[in-house]
Amino acid sequence: MPAYNLKQLSPVPTAPELIDIVLLRTQRKTPTVIHPGYKISRIRSFYMRKVKFTQQTISERLGAIVGDFPRLDDVHPFHADLMSVLYDRDHYKLALGQLSTCKKLCESVCRDYVRLLKYGDSLYRCKSLKVAALGRMMTLLKRQKAALAYLEEVRKHIGRLPSLDPTARTLLVCGFPNVGKSSFMNKVTRAEVEVQPYAFTTKSLYVGHMDHRYLRWQVIDTPGILDHELERRNVIEMQAITALAHLPCAVLYFVDVSEQCGYTIEQQAGLYHSIRALFSDKQLVVVANKTDVRGLDELAPERRKLLDDMCAAHASNGPDSDQRAPLIEMSNVTETGITDVKNLACELLLSVRVEKRRSAQGGGRVRDKLNRLVVTQPRATHAKTLTSAVPGTQNGDESRVCIPASVLAARRAARLAAKARRAEEAADRDEAALAAAVETGARLEAVDEVRERAKASRRAAHDLVAEATRSGATAPKPATERDLMWLGGGPGVYSADTSREYLGQLRCDDWASDVVPEIMDGKNVLDFVDPDIVARLAQLDREEAETDEALAEAEALEAESALSPAEAALVKAVRDKKKLDRLKSQNKRTNASVLPRNKLRGRQMDYEGGDGGDAMDTDENEDDDDAARRARKAAVKRGRSLTRRRGDASSDVHMSIDGADEEHTTKKARLRSVSRARSGSRPPPRTDRGFKDDKQKAEATKVGRKMQKKINRLARAGEADRKTGPKLLRWRLEGKMSTGTRRSR
Amino acid sequence: MPQHEYIEQHRKRHGERLDAPERKRKKEAREVHRRATFARKVHGLRAKLHNKKRFKEKATMRKTIAMHEEKEARARNDDGANDGAVPAYLLDREGVNRAKILSNSIKQKRAEKAGKWSVPIPKVKPVADDEMFRVQTTGKRKKKSWKRVVTKVTFVDENFTRKPPKYERFIRPSGLRMKKAHVTHPELKATFHLDIIGVKKNPSSSMYTSLGVVTKGTIIEVNVSELGLVTTSGRVVWGKYAQVTNNPELDGCINAVLLV
Repeated sequence: MPAYNLKQLSPVPTAPELIDIVLLRTQRKTPTVIHPGYKISRIRSFYMRKVKFTQQTISERLGAIVGDFPRLDDVHPFHADLMSVLYDRDHYKLALGQLSTCKKLCESVCRDYVRLLKYGDSLYRCKSLKVAALGRMMTLLKRQKAALAYLEEVRKHIGRLPSLDPTARTLLVCGFPNVGKSSFMNKVTRAEVEVQPYAFTTKSLYVGHMDHRYLRWQVIDTPGILDHELERRNVIEMQAITALAHLPCAVLYFVDVSEQCGYTIEQQAGLYHSIRALFSDKQLVVVANKTDVRGLDELAPERRKLLDDMCAAHASNGPDSDQRAPLIEMSNVTETGITDVKNLACELLLSVRVEKRRSAQGGGRVRDKLNRLVVTQPRATHAKTLTSAVPGTQNGDESRVCIPASVLAARRAARLAAKARRAEEAADRDEAALAAAVETGARLEAVDEVRERAKASRRAAHDLVAEATRSGATAPKPATERDLMWLGGGPGVYSADTSREYLGQLRCDDWASDVVPEIMDGKNVLDFVDPDIVARLAQLDREEAETDEALAEAEALEAESALSPAEAALVKAVRDKKKLDRLKSQNKRTNASVLPRNKLRGRQMDYEGGDGGDAMDTDENEDDDDAARRARKAAVKRGRSLTRRRGDASSDVHMSIDGADEEHTTKKARLRSVSRARSGSRPPPRTDRGFKDDKQKAEATKVGRKMQKKINRLARAGEADRKTGPKLLRWRLEGKMSTGTRRSR
Repeated sequence: MPQHEYIEQHRKRHGERLDAPERKRKKEAREVHRRATFARKVHGLRAKLHNKKRFKEKATMRKTIAMHEEKEARARNDDGANDGAVPAYLLDREGVNRAKILSNSIKQKRAEKAGKWSVPIPKVKPVADDEMFRVQTTGKRKKKSWKRVVTKVTFVDENFTRKPPKYERFIRPSGLRMKKAHVTHPELKATFHLDIIGVKKNPSSSMYTSLGVVTKGTIIEVNVSELGLVTTSGRVVWGKYAQVTNNPELDGCINAVLLV
């Protein structure tokens, strides 16, 4: 049985909409360009495709509708009957049947026209056939207007039907109109059904949910039923009848004892007896409603008897209903008896359902489950060993009591301590006896005897105390941090002294409270912690001493070679100079491209003259000048671009004392503006590097352009486009005769 | 859990928002603009469909408006002429609703016109042989071209037996054979799907007639026993002639008018 989702049927288009959908889809999803000059087979297949596609779309759409809507034979009989009451079974089936017939007809039209298209001999003929085919299909669709509109209405209505589960635990409320069914529903559930003082306020089935015994129950409110034949009942009443007929539930038959609803109790009893057949095999509760107006005991006896008859009639109603139905008083206004009614009905139904389930298939299901159930009892192995008090005597896998050695020792110590205490007490007693004897002036021997005994007992006590002390019973417990805290002023005041942890671990206990810095002189101390530091230091010292020795020896040797002091000074000067040069050249190294020396001519050189005289010059001024130049250079290197520096330098030199350096300032400005675009801290752009000055760069650019000129003029292949064709061309070799024809060999 | 007419019920209980009618009015007012925007934007097939739909809507709208408009028609009724003693100059008054008569006569005329089904097509465009037949080349070298394939719809008898295919000159493809026709009875103004008995006459050529080719204007004989027509002598007529009114090879079906 297919599962239907009655709540989410997809919308059904109207006939014109469906036609639009189908035609648009065909237009969009099939090719649209065709010319009479095409091969006839192509033209034919073009149009065949259109016809087939249209048919497929129609089949798809209609098939979806027919498949979506539930088949009345497949759904639960309650739903089937409800639908046939609401939507007219014949109409419903007819509509669906028409759609599926339409689908079949479209398929046959498609088949016929595709066959005819195979014989199409011109574009015009093919096109005419296609038009005819599509036209016929659309005519077929157009005829489904009524069916489609009807199904759309049905869909909308089905979507709004309450979701009612026919198999769930259900209470069903029924009775004449206006007897308080909907009010009861509103009291026990949250359904908010409309309650009005006129008949047939409730026009269809309403479902609400409630809880009883932690189970979910659905309560169904039905429209009122009038007492006449089935054929004369209208759609509203028929819904109630359908629910009564098909749902296994507990029925609450409401009787308005106050007769405010406009029907007498006789009439209500009459209705009960006429629809009694529907209550067979169901749990029935007759509810005497509106007792706030008139109670059951205020009823005339013959009327009361009618109610009793109703209850009694249920007993003979069917094979399963063997007992009379309970009669309960209830009032929606004062809310008396509502809970009783609810509980009674629920219990009745629940007991029957449980019983039914238990006895379903001869109770096989329950027995099946029971057979598989085993209740295990745990064995008290632990308690057994404890009581037997002899661990591990029966078998090895039984658990034993494990007492740690420390605990045992503590126990023994405690025992010893107790013994020692007792011995001390005995000694005290003996000494007291001795004192008494002395005081009373007893016999000397007796006093001696007592004294001996006291001495012995004191000695024994001493021994025992000593032994107890040894075994650690008397040793004080180590003070915990908590004890310390209470000693040190309690929580909040006391702060734990962590340095105590270091005690005994360092060479000197005084160091324990020293503060160890993490960083010292900007260095992480831990980086320099080395367990072997002392050994290494010693080794270093040794090595240093050796080197010193060697050096002293060498000096001694050198002193023997005997340079004059002037020569020595000169040597030293030369060496220093060399060192300086090396450093300078090291400083000079950059990432920039290296310029040839002759290109550097125009720039300020660090190394002017280049002869030894300069090196020998020890003049203070010269030195200063040199240093200043070096400093400037270094500054420039780090800071500004070359261009900028040049401009600045020139302006520095001239300092613009005279007013006639107008053009110079403009040049400077230009230079500035040139260099402005780029941040001073960055190196000059790659395109500028490697040139002495702007002029050189301009020249290089010019030459480059000139070289490019020819290539540009030809504007064909650049260097990258060079290629070599195949050596042997296929067209020149293929098909040639070996003797030389077919266009030569 | 919403069930049944829950929207209406909610409205009943809680009312609508205060600006609901205003919103509704605005929505309706905007609808015109929305439609206009769509009409301006749409193109192609959808535009065609849309325009057609709008045209229809507008036509019906115009008709309804015209129906509800007050007309300046002079409607003379019988109550113009009083019964009983009246002055002489009032005696010849007659209450006639002229407009009604006029419209009735127009209707009648139209009905007559509709009833007069056009007589069978008097002039038939001849169909040339090269349009009718396609040459099929045969033989091992495909050099022979004496076979012909009929390209139009044909009617072939049920008891037709083929010649040996090798010697068959005219091939009538089975895909193009038809056995039934939609025949309209001009007086009953009803159309029936009837069996074809035979081809009586193809006006283009006698050869086509013998081949059973059905083209526009061909006279065919149909089985009208379903219609239950009776001759004057009281016998049931079962065969009657009908003229084909469409191009069956283009439409995929044969439409014909019964010759009464």
